Amino acid sequence: MRAGVDVGPTNTDAAHLADDGSVLATVKVASVPGDPAAGVRAALARLPRRELTHVAVGLRATAASVVRRQGLRKVGVLRIGGAPARAVRPLSGWPPDLREAVSAGYAIVDGGGGLDPEDWAPLDRDAVARFASGVAGRAQAVAVAGLFSPLDGDQEREAAEIVRAELGDLPIALSADLGSIGLLERENATVLDAALSGVAGALADGLAATLAELCPGAAVLVTRGDGTLMSLEHLARHPGLSLGSGPASVLRGAGVLAGLGDAVVADVGARRITVGALAGGFPEEAVGGAEIGGVPVGFRVPSLIRVPVPFDPADLAEAVDRLQPGPGRLPLVVVGGGAESVPQGLHPPHGKAAGAIGAAVSPVGGQYERIVRAPDRSALAQAMEAVAEEARAAAVRAGADPRHVRILEAADTRLAYLPGPFVKLRARAAGPPSRL
Amino acid sequence: MREIGIDALDDMARGAGILGTGGGGDPYVGKLLAREAIRRHGPVTVYDIDEVPADATVVPVSSMGAPTVLLEKLPGGTEELTALRALEAVLGRQATHIVPIEVGGVNSMIPIAAAAQAGLPLVDGDAMGRAFPEAQMVLPTLIGVRNTPMAVADDKGNTLVLDAVSNHWAERIARAACVQMGCQVSCADTVLRGDQLRDGLVPATLTLAEELGRAVRVARAEHADPVAAAVAVLGGVTLFSGKVVDVERRTTGGFARGRARLEGTGTLELDFQNEHLLARRDGAIVATTPDLICVLDTDSGEPVTTEAMRYGLRVTVVGAPCDPRWTTPAGLELAGPRYFGYDCDYLPLTAA
Repeated sequence: MRAGVDVGPTNTDAAHLADDGSVLATVKVASVPGDPAAGVRAALARLPRRELTHVAVGLRATAASVVRRQGLRKVGVLRIGGAPARAVRPLSGWPPDLREAVSAGYAIVDGGGGLDPEDWAPLDRDAVARFASGVAGRAQAVAVAGLFSPLDGDQEREAAEIVRAELGDLPIALSADLGSIGLLERENATVLDAALSGVAGALADGLAATLAELCPGAAVLVTRGDGTLMSLEHLARHPGLSLGSGPASVLRGAGVLAGLGDAVVADVGARRITVGALAGGFPEEAVGGAEIGGVPVGFRVPSLIRVPVPFDPADLAEAVDRLQPGPGRLPLVVVGGGAESVPQGLHPPHGKAAGAIGAAVSPVGGQYERIVRAPDRSALAQAMEAVAEEARAAAVRAGADPRHVRILEAADTRLAYLPGPFVKLRARAAGPPSRL
Repeated sequence: MREIGIDALDDMARGAGILGTGGGGDPYVGKLLAREAIRRHGPVTVYDIDEVPADATVVPVSSMGAPTVLLEKLPGGTEELTALRALEAVLGRQATHIVPIEVGGVNSMIPIAAAAQAGLPLVDGDAMGRAFPEAQMVLPTLIGVRNTPMAVADDKGNTLVLDAVSNHWAERIARAACVQMGCQVSCADTVLRGDQLRDGLVPATLTLAEELGRAVRVARAEHADPVAAAVAVLGGVTLFSGKVVDVERRTTGGFARGRARLEGTGTLELDFQNEHLLARRDGAIVATTPDLICVLDTDSGEPVTTEAMRYGLRVTVVGAPCDPRWTTPAGLELAGPRYFGYDCDYLPLTAA
């Protein structure tokens, strides 16, 4: 048996689900502003005490923290990449007030790699130490992003050790773990992870303490923007992954309740209707991933259209239509507290707790991508297997049970404008949460 | 004459992305490079084609290779100048102006950064009026201008200066070298004299990119239809609006071909390689290269690249007429559907 909790801006929903996914009970309580763990405690306390294998929680605290520029740590940014990485400085293009709230200085040091092993340059350890002493006293956290680090994260880890030796035990976010190609996007995401480390750490500690008391023996997970889950340890390391997670779990929950893998979902809240689409049970993602004030940070988030409440039915119909593959093709599923105000579409039972149910039914996820040179089919298959293995490992790092992780998606895209067989491989993996 | 400052770059990059017809690389990184260069060196002066003296030495500066690699391995900002200096050394004269080789994609922005660093003015125009994948696919080829000597520079400081028997051969050799040089290099080639610009360039395309980007931005801000705004600036036609329901990618006969199927009211099949090249609506061809086939996100008006084509995207496909010199027999031989391996002839766009 498991529980899902969805901490919204106004209400917190919770649900108990049997192992077969059937909903046993749901409850709604008022959220406690600024204290998500208190909302979780209040909601779960209203449900019968049952033996739970895991509790999955949907949060909006990290997104709120970025939007309000609150609780962000000052971050020293270290880019490992040498001359080729110098033209565009770290935090370029960030909204000035966010950069002001986050920046504690940066350095670009020699090192980093390329597509071929001979492209790798040694890490300039002295420059890393100079960076560390340069940001000492200002930086509350450090973000490290190395050129081609998803291929090999050793230099990032080496740099983190040097920084730690200089500055002591402070949070250090590494970009390699994010597993995506695109240095600036990955660096922006890593800076965000570091900036949110305080908020996320407090959140993880608060949830761990609350749930250890309420549901002893249950694994605790939180939702991510791609519709999967991660452990509290993973949240503390990569809080940016939770951006967009609220709508993602509502979409998944609505699909599960309606028994549909492909659907358009309208979540009717007190202030707005959020419309999104499900494809194969997971949210359709926004092109280009998450953005903050126009800065691409690469985290995968659902593509959404928002309609203000009270709503004009024509606006809602247009939003739903825009998310359809063709006229009237996919069923509309209506969930959320205000679902009765929308007469059309499917209204599955327990739709008011779709976010909590979506959290409870989601697997723990991981992903990885890599550019490879694959001259033939067997080389491609071999490389794809290696990438799939990295995705499985990412899911396990996020808290998935290693015995039951499977590949959700494996895609290869030939790189444009290059002769010969350069291919970008990408895999997503997911599995049930590892039991405690 | 006018100046390009930092403020113009967002609109210009958005427009250049649309003119990239699915290829050319995301201008975002190029925009950051141009912004940084202008911040350091000041705004770039831009001349219309007819303001350039007849004896000017106008040099296209560009980047070659995989845009996906460019996203990871950012240009250092000096490779373009290294390539330019190497080219000047063999030419025996200095560049007086810089110009984009293609307005579509990231190569619209790279020359702005290079011009700012070199302290040279830019010419408002480009050699394609869109994006194409190969170095010989430029209007100068049609008037007998050679793309060699061609200078190629990488991030490590390696430089290659190439002479070749034809513009096709230069492309072939440079592309092979590009792979060895880390899959992403900077080039200076296809030198034009001032009096060749009228025949060798599509005029005012940087201005077009900026207007296009501005129209999309303004439409979005006013909650109007950004795609319709883009169509109006392009003088194009809306070919189809729908959702991507299937994307297939394969390599046959040396061509890495992709095909996407869109469903809406009817279906549209889109054939792409590096750019979108062919559109069939309900089985009948409605647009072909060298006309521009631009795929835009229906909600935002943002361009969708061939590499980003995937199931579930809601897009509108727009056709826009290419420069008329591309639809001459010689132009079609260089960049018509048959060059890309499609067994069909060029079909002019017709109003939907």
